[in-house]
Amino acid sequence: MTGLGSGVDRRSVLRGALAVGAVGATATGAAADPAATATATATATATATVAPASTDASAGGGFPFHGVHQSGVLTPKQRCVSLVAFDVTAADRAGLSALMRTLTERLRFLTEGGVPEPLGITAPPSDSGVLGPVVPDDVLTVAVAAGSSLFDARFGLAALKPRRLRPMEAFADDDLDPAWCQGDLLLQVEAANADRVAHALRDVAAHTRGAMQVRWRIDGFSSPPRPAGTPRNLLGFRDGTANPDVSDARAMDQVVWVCAGQGEPAWATGGSYLAVRLIRMLVEFWDRVSLNEQERMFGRQKNSGAPLDGRSESDAPRYSADPAGDVIPMDSHMRLANPRTAGSDALRMLRRGFNYDRGTDGNGNLDMGLLFCSFQQDLDRQFVAVQKRLAGEPLVDYVTPFGGGYFFVLPGVRDATDWLGRGLLG
Amino acid sequence: MRRRWVFGGALALLACAGAGAVGWEQAGSGHPLTAPSSGTSADGYPGLPHTSVQISPGGCGAGWDRPQPGLQVFDLHNTGVAPEDAYVEDPATGRVLGEIEGLAGGAVRPMLVRLGAGSYAFQCLPQDTDAVTGPTVRVPGGAGGSGGAGSGSAGGGGPAVVPVTQQDLIPPTLAYQKWVGAQLPGLVSAVDVLRAAVGRGDSAAARAAWLPAHLDYERLGAAYGTFGDLDGSISGTTKGLPGGTSDPGFTGFHRLEFGLWHGESAASLGPVADRLAADVRTLQSRWAAARMNPKDLGLRAHEIVENTIQFELTGRTDYGSGSGLATAQANLQGTAEALDLLRPLLRTRMPELPQIDAALAATTREVAGLGGVPVSGLTLGQQEALNAAFGDLVTRLAPVAAVCDVRRTS
Repeated sequence: MTGLGSGVDRRSVLRGALAVGAVGATATGAAADPAATATATATATATATVAPASTDASAGGGFPFHGVHQSGVLTPKQRCVSLVAFDVTAADRAGLSALMRTLTERLRFLTEGGVPEPLGITAPPSDSGVLGPVVPDDVLTVAVAAGSSLFDARFGLAALKPRRLRPMEAFADDDLDPAWCQGDLLLQVEAANADRVAHALRDVAAHTRGAMQVRWRIDGFSSPPRPAGTPRNLLGFRDGTANPDVSDARAMDQVVWVCAGQGEPAWATGGSYLAVRLIRMLVEFWDRVSLNEQERMFGRQKNSGAPLDGRSESDAPRYSADPAGDVIPMDSHMRLANPRTAGSDALRMLRRGFNYDRGTDGNGNLDMGLLFCSFQQDLDRQFVAVQKRLAGEPLVDYVTPFGGGYFFVLPGVRDATDWLGRGLLG
Repeated sequence: MRRRWVFGGALALLACAGAGAVGWEQAGSGHPLTAPSSGTSADGYPGLPHTSVQISPGGCGAGWDRPQPGLQVFDLHNTGVAPEDAYVEDPATGRVLGEIEGLAGGAVRPMLVRLGAGSYAFQCLPQDTDAVTGPTVRVPGGAGGSGGAGSGSAGGGGPAVVPVTQQDLIPPTLAYQKWVGAQLPGLVSAVDVLRAAVGRGDSAAARAAWLPAHLDYERLGAAYGTFGDLDGSISGTTKGLPGGTSDPGFTGFHRLEFGLWHGESAASLGPVADRLAADVRTLQSRWAAARMNPKDLGLRAHEIVENTIQFELTGRTDYGSGSGLATAQANLQGTAEALDLLRPLLRTRMPELPQIDAALAATTREVAGLGGVPVSGLTLGQQEALNAAFGDLVTRLAPVAAVCDVRRTS
């Protein structure tokens, strides 16, 4: 039992990280050089710090809505998530600005909680009541991100597009369905319980029906540690091991946040690139594969999460002692993704994926998989580079990426007068 | 039965004599009663100020001794026997800020309100007895005044509006009945054209005649509840029919549509067309004696569009003609008619009326701009724009129903 105290600790740690991030943003121009980044983060711990929140992260344990960065990036993964991509239907830039202001207002209220306004006999109730009469202030994070299509001709934002933002390319082993790709905006809604997520979505929909329409939506969950350590994906392996330490503000400025001096538009400072990959896992096929083969595909032991040459999850693999891949195959997922050579720290990103389970496909096969989400300051240097390294890995026979997209997480809402996208639209 | 409408009241199509003399039923039978609260301490607002207030003819408003501004809960206690409605209102303007409906004798229920600085009073409306207004209470200005942003009331209070009474709703409802009555001959003759084409076995002519006849019916949306069973017979879908499209209970426009667009010979559809023609004639002959429930008009103003979204924009009611957008347009026309008749009541009560009109106009333009394509043939962008327009419209129309609910004031 972690008790209430852990929620408080986590929150204050995070507050510290966010606050430091503001300072760091002004001082990290030099860190744009990948080599410097590599040196700086070489000692970063391999222990996963993006752990799922315990379910008792309630009773006022929410994260502050206002800050330099949005919540939902460095904050602990919650048990329930909904990824909802929207297309903006507002007619013009003023309409888009109004949408972002409305969205900010609603998310501020939903995050901070409170009594929904009584509207008397003038209107239906202002709140669905799904959470009872008072919206609680337990954890709800909603990260809002923009897709490249928001920067097309409609709103006159082309010149302000983040440099790396574009439609997600189809990688070698992808089978993308356009209906499950892209979107002008993406909301990543997280909470400890599904009703909190559903309530937030209903509220947002009710206030934005005319200005944006859902393009695709998929719900997911984060598993508890089984029995300890990083949560497992639905292939049974731990997912997110070796993430950078989110409490290390300096590392976050080198891995996650867009900082001044990176050649990005000024408004983008404090934001982050989000790569979303909707990946079906052929779990029934996978269950018919021998354990040895499974472990060699990942490069890790299934039970402990340890590298095949190690004893515990936090052990670093010693590739230098295994140059031919006799123990950890050269084409294993872990080794391809991060060879741990000089310079490969520049590849590091913050992985923050969720599992999904959405019933069965048309043939009655279980439809489960991974909502891969990674945050990085440079899409190409980090996510894309790693993805290209993984081309043709043995694991691709067991997974089918079918959707997702690239998005840019907007900088945080600073205070009660600020709004999401103000730097871009204001 | 297709019947999509949430029809709270009893069948109101009465074949009684004395058609000119309209007798209005008490609309209260259609009011859903909220479940009584289990007690004041369990109302779920532990952090807010609570004031216990008596609701009874003899002591209406008693107990409100320490008025304060801001968000707060009144725990209303009906100390009498008869059920009562209760309002908190501005006694000078009659604008109601909060309402509890059907408070049972002996029961206590919470009423959440936000009060700004100003004068307020409780009004107690016991069933079958005249209303009583309690003492006027002055609420001072103060910290609580800050949170009422966007409210329609001065001084930081929540939004308030003068209730709409049954008396208020009689003129627009009568006008609507009259308007429907004036539409019915057109419907009857359009169905006759359709029936004739079916009768002579001319499928092409029947398909051409089907749409205008169907649209004539689809414009009457606010009246369907009053049409009663005839509506199911005239425009029902296969919903609830075990035999689906071959169920003998599947009749009317959509049965004809299914046949005409699925290669059934026009001749074989003769009995369906005959029945439809008979049904619309029955509708016409009975209409003069019909009484619409006065609460229908406000409700339908948003329910028509709700149903367009649910059944037309999804293609649910498309049995082959692909005319969902034309139906949607007819529904919008019906909505506009209802809204126009309610306009005198809404003008003083809904400052957002111009935005509602603008949304209705924008939605009409959106549908018109798409032409006669089936909903299934729209591109993603077209679908999103269409759904956004309807979604925006229906959100804005919802308060019309809330404001136009039938309430007492005396």
